[in-house]
Amino acid sequence: MTAVGEVALWIALPVALWGAVLAFAGGRSGRFDFVLSAERTVYALTFLLLLVSAGIVAAFVGDRYEFWYVASYSNRELDTYFKVAGLWAGQRGSLVFWTLLLSVFSSVAVFQNRRRNREFMPYVAGTLLAVQSFLLMALLFADVNPFERLGFTPANGRGLNPQLQNYWMTIHPPTLYLGFTAFAIPFAFAVSALLTGRLDSRWIAVTRRWVLLSWFFLTNGIVFGMRWAYEELGWGGYWFWDPVENASLLPWLTATAFVHSIQIQENRAMLKVWNMGLVAATFLLTIFATFLTRSGLIESVHSFAENLTIAYVFLGFLGVVAAVCAALIVYRLPQLRGENHLQSFLSRESAFLFNNLLFVGIAFAVAWGTLYPLFTEGFFGQKINVGPPYYNRVNVPVGLILLGLMGVGPVIAWRRASRRNLAKNFAWPVAAAAAVAAALVATGVRHWAALATFSISAFVMTVIATEFVKGTAARSRISGEGRGRSLLGLVRRNRRRWGGYVVHAGVVVIFTGFAGSAFDVAVAGDLAPGESLSVRSAFGHEYVLTYESLSHSRPRSSAGGENDWRWTALVTVRRGGERVAVMRPERRFYPVMDESSTEVGLHSTVLEDLYLIPRDVDLDGGEDRVSFEAKALPLVPWIWFGGMVVAAGTLVALWPAGRVKSRAAAGGAAPSLAAGRAA
Amino acid sequence: MKNTRFLVGLAGVAAMVSYLMWTGVSDSMVYYMTPAELAERIEADPSFRDVGVKVSGRVVEGSWERSPGPAHAFRVADLDDPSVVFSVRYDDVVPDTFNDQAEVVLEGRFGLDEVFEAHTVLTKCGSRYEAAKEDLAT
Repeated sequence: MTAVGEVALWIALPVALWGAVLAFAGGRSGRFDFVLSAERTVYALTFLLLLVSAGIVAAFVGDRYEFWYVASYSNRELDTYFKVAGLWAGQRGSLVFWTLLLSVFSSVAVFQNRRRNREFMPYVAGTLLAVQSFLLMALLFADVNPFERLGFTPANGRGLNPQLQNYWMTIHPPTLYLGFTAFAIPFAFAVSALLTGRLDSRWIAVTRRWVLLSWFFLTNGIVFGMRWAYEELGWGGYWFWDPVENASLLPWLTATAFVHSIQIQENRAMLKVWNMGLVAATFLLTIFATFLTRSGLIESVHSFAENLTIAYVFLGFLGVVAAVCAALIVYRLPQLRGENHLQSFLSRESAFLFNNLLFVGIAFAVAWGTLYPLFTEGFFGQKINVGPPYYNRVNVPVGLILLGLMGVGPVIAWRRASRRNLAKNFAWPVAAAAAVAAALVATGVRHWAALATFSISAFVMTVIATEFVKGTAARSRISGEGRGRSLLGLVRRNRRRWGGYVVHAGVVVIFTGFAGSAFDVAVAGDLAPGESLSVRSAFGHEYVLTYESLSHSRPRSSAGGENDWRWTALVTVRRGGERVAVMRPERRFYPVMDESSTEVGLHSTVLEDLYLIPRDVDLDGGEDRVSFEAKALPLVPWIWFGGMVVAAGTLVALWPAGRVKSRAAAGGAAPSLAAGRAA
Repeated sequence: MKNTRFLVGLAGVAAMVSYLMWTGVSDSMVYYMTPAELAERIEADPSFRDVGVKVSGRVVEGSWERSPGPAHAFRVADLDDPSVVFSVRYDDVVPDTFNDQAEVVLEGRFGLDEVFEAHTVLTKCGSRYEAAKEDLAT
C-alpha cells in the first residue's frame, strides 16, 4: 500500500498540472471538452491523493521506520489511532492531508456546479488545480517528501510528542484543516469572477455556504484547540498567544470580517474591492497558518536550526498569489466600483463596516506581534518578542467594541437610522447593561475589563432575546400558530439571520467565560498521602482536596507493549463537607521519548472548573509526596458551552433552506448551492 | 463627500489600533538573545539589566540543584560557546521536559548579584520538529 501511495504521489503532479492547463485553456477558448476533461482531473486527483494518504497511514500502522517521517512521529507501542493520526502529526504528512482535503472539497464544488454556474467553472477548476499543483510540487521537490527513506531501518521510531498523545489530536487538526481548505472554494470563485468579469454578487451568492462551512470548521477547530491546550498543557489556560495559535486565528478574523461584509455587498452593492481583498487575504492566511508557522521560520535563528527551504518556497507562493490577486483587482477596478455610498454613520452598513475595520485591525495587530521578532531581527539584527500583555492591550478593548457592535448591528436600520429607531430599540438593553454593572460593583467587582464584558454581554443578550420575542410574537399574531411553531417558522424563513443571532449569543457566552479568568484562584502545596489542600473559589465556597494515595501502572497499548508508565494520584474533593468528586491526575513517562507529561484532574460545574495539576511526582518511586497546584477557574465551562452554541447557530445558518430540493440536488450531505439566496 | 465617512472611520480605527499596538509593544517587549550576546550587552550598558530578556541556552550537566519546594538553581551555557555560563534562579515548577541537559529558553532579568532571575522557563519542544537522521541511528 505504501509503495502504491508513493507512486500515486508522483502521478498526481502531472495530472494536476495538466488539469490546470486544460482548465485555463478551456476557459479562454470556450472549448467545453477541455473544461470537462479538467473537471475529471479534479476527481482523479482526489482518488490519487486518497491513495497517497492511505500509503502514509499504512506505513505508520505497519511500523515502517525506514521512512524518515514515520520514524520521527511514531513508535511501535503507540496506540493505533495515534498512528493513523500520524498523517497530520508532522509537516510532511500535514501537507499531504491538506492537499487531500482541498481536493475533496474541489471535487464536491465541481460536482455541485456540473450544470449550474458554468461560466465560473473553468477558472474555478483551474485555480484549485493550480493550487494543488503547487502543493504537490512542494511535496516532491522541497525536501518534504513523506516517503523519504532514511537509508537504514531503526528498530523503533522516535515516538510522538506526549502532548500530542491526547484524543483531541485526532479531532482538532482535521477540523482546523477542513476550515482552511474549504475557504479555497470561495477564493477560487472570486478569482474566476475577476477573470471572467462577472463581478456582480453572483459569486458571493454561490459561495456563501462554503464561507459558512469554512467558518464553522475554523471556529470549532480553534475552540477544540483551546480545549486541548486546557486539558493537556496543564497550566489552567487555554490561549497563550503562541505563534501557531495566532496563525490559526488570523484567517478566522478575516473570514469573520468577510461573513459580515458580503452582506453589505448583497444588500447595498458596496465594498466590492474590499470583499475581493478579504477573500484573497483569508486564503493566503490559511496557507500561512498551515505551513509557515510549522516550518520554523518565525522561531528561527536563536531557537531552532531548521531547514528553511519549505518556508521560502511557501513565502514565494504567497507572494505570487498576492501579486496575481492584486493585479486582477486593479485590472477590474472600474467594474468593482460600489453602486451606493454610506449615507449615515447611524446605519447598519456603517456598523458592519466598523466591525470589518476592527476585525482587520485585530488581524493586523496579531500578525504584527507574531512577526515582530522577524522584523526586528531583519531590520535591526536584534530579535525582540512581544508577549501576551501586548495582545491583551490591543485585543481586550477592540474585542469589547466588537462585542458591543453585536448588539447594535442587528437592530439598527439600513441606510439611515432615526433617533426614534435607536431610542426604541436600545432603551431596555442599555438598562439591562447598567443593572448588571451596578449589581457587580455592589458585590465588590472592580476589574474594569470584566465589568465591561459582563455589562456589554447583558446589553447584547437583551437585544438578541428581544428580537426573538418580537419576531415570534409578530408571526404568531399573523399566522395564529402557537409560540413554538412560530419560532420554528420564523427561523426557517430566514435561517441566516436567526442562525447568526444564535452565533452571536454563543460568542457572548464565550466572552463571559474569558472574563471569568479575572477571578482565577490558585493554591499550591506539597502533600503526603492523607494531607489536604483547600481552595476558596471566587464564588465564595471552599473546596477541600485530600490526596489519598499514589498508584503506578504500565498499561498495554492497543498496539501491544507499554507506550507510557503512569503515576496516578487519587484525590477526593469535598465542598461544604460533602464529597463532590474523585480526581485522578496523572504524571506519565514515555520511555521511547524519554519525556514525561501531565494529565490534570478536572471537576466541572455549571459555574466553574476545579483544576488540579500534579506538578511534581517522584517518578523513581520511594516517595509518595506529590506537589499539587489547585485552581478554581470561574466560568471556564461557559467557553465550551458557548462554543457549542456558536456551532449550533452556524449550522442553522448553513442548513439548506429548501430541504427537499437540496436532498435531490446534492445528495443530502454536501452543502447545497442550489439554495443560494436564503435571505 | 462620497468616501469621506469611510475614510474617517478607517483613520479612526487605524489610529486606535496603532496606539494600542504601540503601547502594547513598549510594555511587553522582550529581547531575545543568546547568553553571549547578553553578557556583551550588559558589559557595554549596565542599565540593560532592567530590560526583560529571553535567553536561550543549554543547562549545564550536573548543575541543577533542587531545594525543597519549587525552587530551582542551575547554570546555563551558550549553545555555541560553552565557556559563556551564568547562574539561574527560578522559583516555580519546571516543565515536564526539563532535565539537566535540556535546551531551554528563559525569560526574566539579569539581577545585580549576577544571577539570572527567571520568571518563565521553557524547554524546547524538539518533537514538534523532525528528528535529525543522526538521532534516529542510535
